Amino acid sequence: MSASFTKSTARNIFYGGSVFFFLLFLGLTLDTTMALPSHNAKAKLTDAAVRGKKIWETRNCGGCHTLLGEGAYFGPELGNVYVRRGPDFIKGWMKAMPTNVPGRRQMPQFHLNDGELDDVVAFLKYTSEINTNNWPPNIQG
Amino acid sequence: MRTDSLPMEDIPHDRHVPGDLAMWCFILAELAVFGVFFLVYGYHRWRDPALFSHGQQQLHLLLPTLNTLLLLAGSAAIVAAVRAFALNRQRSGRRWLMSTMLAGGGFLVLKAIELGGKFAAGITLSSGDFWMFYLSLTVFHFLHVVLGMVIVAAVWWQARDGRYAGATIDGVETAAAYWHMVDLVWIVLFALIYVAR
Amino acid sequence: MSNASAATLAAEQARAPAQIKYRSQAVAKPYFMAAIGLFIGQILFGLIIGLQYVKGDFLFPAISFSTARMVHTNLLIVWLLFGFMGAGYFLIPEECERELYSPKLAIITFWVFLVAGALTIVGYLGLPYNVLAHLTGNDLLPTMGRGYLEQPLITKVGIVLVALSFLFNLSMTLLSGRKTSISIVMLLGLWGLAIFFLFSFVNPNNLVLDKYFWWWVVHLWVEGVWELIMGAMLAFVLVKVTGVDREIIEKWLYLIIAMTLITGIIGTGHHYFWIGTPAYWQVWGSIFSALEPVPFFMMTMFAFNMVKRRRREHPNQAATLWALGTGVMSFLGAGVWGFLGTLSVVNYYTHGTQLTASHGHMAFYGAYAMVVLTMISYTMPLLRGREANSPQAQNVEKLAFWVMTLSIVGITLCLTAAGATQVWLQRMSSAPLSFMETQEHIMPLYWARLVCGLGFFSGLMLYLISFFVTGKRQD
Repeated sequence: MSASFTKSTARNIFYGGSVFFFLLFLGLTLDTTMALPSHNAKAKLTDAAVRGKKIWETRNCGGCHTLLGEGAYFGPELGNVYVRRGPDFIKGWMKAMPTNVPGRRQMPQFHLNDGELDDVVAFLKYTSEINTNNWPPNIQG
Repeated sequence: MRTDSLPMEDIPHDRHVPGDLAMWCFILAELAVFGVFFLVYGYHRWRDPALFSHGQQQLHLLLPTLNTLLLLAGSAAIVAAVRAFALNRQRSGRRWLMSTMLAGGGFLVLKAIELGGKFAAGITLSSGDFWMFYLSLTVFHFLHVVLGMVIVAAVWWQARDGRYAGATIDGVETAAAYWHMVDLVWIVLFALIYVAR
Repeated sequence: MSNASAATLAAEQARAPAQIKYRSQAVAKPYFMAAIGLFIGQILFGLIIGLQYVKGDFLFPAISFSTARMVHTNLLIVWLLFGFMGAGYFLIPEECERELYSPKLAIITFWVFLVAGALTIVGYLGLPYNVLAHLTGNDLLPTMGRGYLEQPLITKVGIVLVALSFLFNLSMTLLSGRKTSISIVMLLGLWGLAIFFLFSFVNPNNLVLDKYFWWWVVHLWVEGVWELIMGAMLAFVLVKVTGVDREIIEKWLYLIIAMTLITGIIGTGHHYFWIGTPAYWQVWGSIFSALEPVPFFMMTMFAFNMVKRRRREHPNQAATLWALGTGVMSFLGAGVWGFLGTLSVVNYYTHGTQLTASHGHMAFYGAYAMVVLTMISYTMPLLRGREANSPQAQNVEKLAFWVMTLSIVGITLCLTAAGATQVWLQRMSSAPLSFMETQEHIMPLYWARLVCGLGFFSGLMLYLISFFVTGKRQD
């Protein structure tokens, strides 16, 4: 084999290939953002759900739990917890924390008032309505 | 794709791999992407033949057939360009490169007409498996024709100073290799998406 | 080396401490020291959360799992950034054959970054997270509470300013110096790092879009621009320790990072399978990410080939070992373990399990921790006025290499088995167990992981000790 292999061609392929695939990625991103409203037509992002999302973020819920499979793997998946457990269980659970059972994983008490708990539930209802292409495989998340 | 209109014996035969190795790496990666894409297409088609044949019936063969001829013509032209530069026929070489770009341009116009019709009919990547594959593959390939034309145009531009001559025609060969890859992928795509029903 | 640069070198050596070519390269030293210090902190918090996996109430409520994990991952990012910055300050002057534009600015930047980082960690540990968020202006622009991007708004702004100061300093150096491919790739990677970090300020209310653009930071960092930085650092060290012609190393560098971005950019799609994005990402993401191991494999072959073709025997064998280790472990961690869960049909079952964690641990260590340690291993002796450490010190460092690397392999295998158990009991079973019931079955594996973690920590201590072993210096 006596093929040539030059740095300038390698460099051009790096620049050209990167620009090409980044533009393609931008195109797919544009398509995704345009397709989202109909893809997630069932997911209602209410004002309460938006407030609930802020609570989710400022209590670092993703530091222990996954949400649609992303986050930490210390506690259960919560994207579908609204379906799995229902709103009353969620509120009761958060009020009862921590269990203080020796040796068990502990969830902090966040001292949320009833309105805030409703917002968290609204957010988790919204996440359960997102069209995740049938993930997770079963209700256990 | 060899054209016998030019004398073969004047072309240096001592080199085995035409063009630049870096480009061959890129071509291999591209072929891998398309190859896997075709396999996934085949798998989905096997899973749901009714959906795919229904979709395929809505495709017309005229434009893609013309497009196949255009790309093949482009390939033939770039082979002629390589020959011409090897023989140091600069003006002829640049004219052949321009012919490749014209063929590519024709392909893009016809393809845009075809895709425009689909978009106007409200077909998107989310219109079911068949249309997802149809749009993904054809648009992805469309962009490769654009990239191929950019590469050929760059070579055409650089050829102004007569740098490609005799045995130093790596740049032209590199562009030709890429163009042939785009052509090859189209032929498989054409057979798979449009013809095989 | 040209006569001109040899003359510069001779002139520099008269003034600067032995072995570093440009006096201003010395600013890299505090960066590397901070990196190692923060690395130790990261591992300590890793041990805490490893213990919390088996003793759930350990340190609760003083340090809850979510806080300790946040410190663990944030320290990882910050120490790697310190390592990249130190590497930049060392590499760019040497490649550009001139002093750093402003060594003073580099030192100011160092202290700003260190103090901001320390204050952030103190904030994490000392305040409830929502109070920290409230005090630091999260209500103005909510950006907190998302994985890896938990930093308060003011810290994020600080990171941007530090990055700009750093990039300004390096870019000014490059603009008036020799422009090599290695330095250009390094700077491209660092600029990309800063630019994609700006997406950490994007946090739409729509959770799907939030997650979509979150990956523009996380994925386009670790499977995109960071690989440019990694490639440039590895190429720099290989040029130095092997003496192979720069032209050869640089063309392979370009080809490898071309493959990285060709596969990695659309490869972002492997995160868009189940987060509310259209189904076509399952096809696009699977196909491109299936090819992501290719550049990592090329990187491995590259490192081994260059060492095989070496034209000199560099006395710093430890640095060569780290460079080869980076090649192998990044391929295993990012390439092989990344591939394990990347196809959508597999990912459907493995998404959000310990398999993701297993890949994360080996990939971060194999690609980024190791490449920074490679750079430190090569530069620290030079920064301390010698070409290489004594054989005794190098032996301790090599032992540390093996202990840390084998420990991370152990951690990865434990977490892989843990993930497989989760998939089996919780996802695929006809009578699926709940999350917490499944966790009970995994306890022995979490214990084994903790033991491996302790092994890693002892390796890290050995590594630290290697800096203080004097022994007999060569020549």
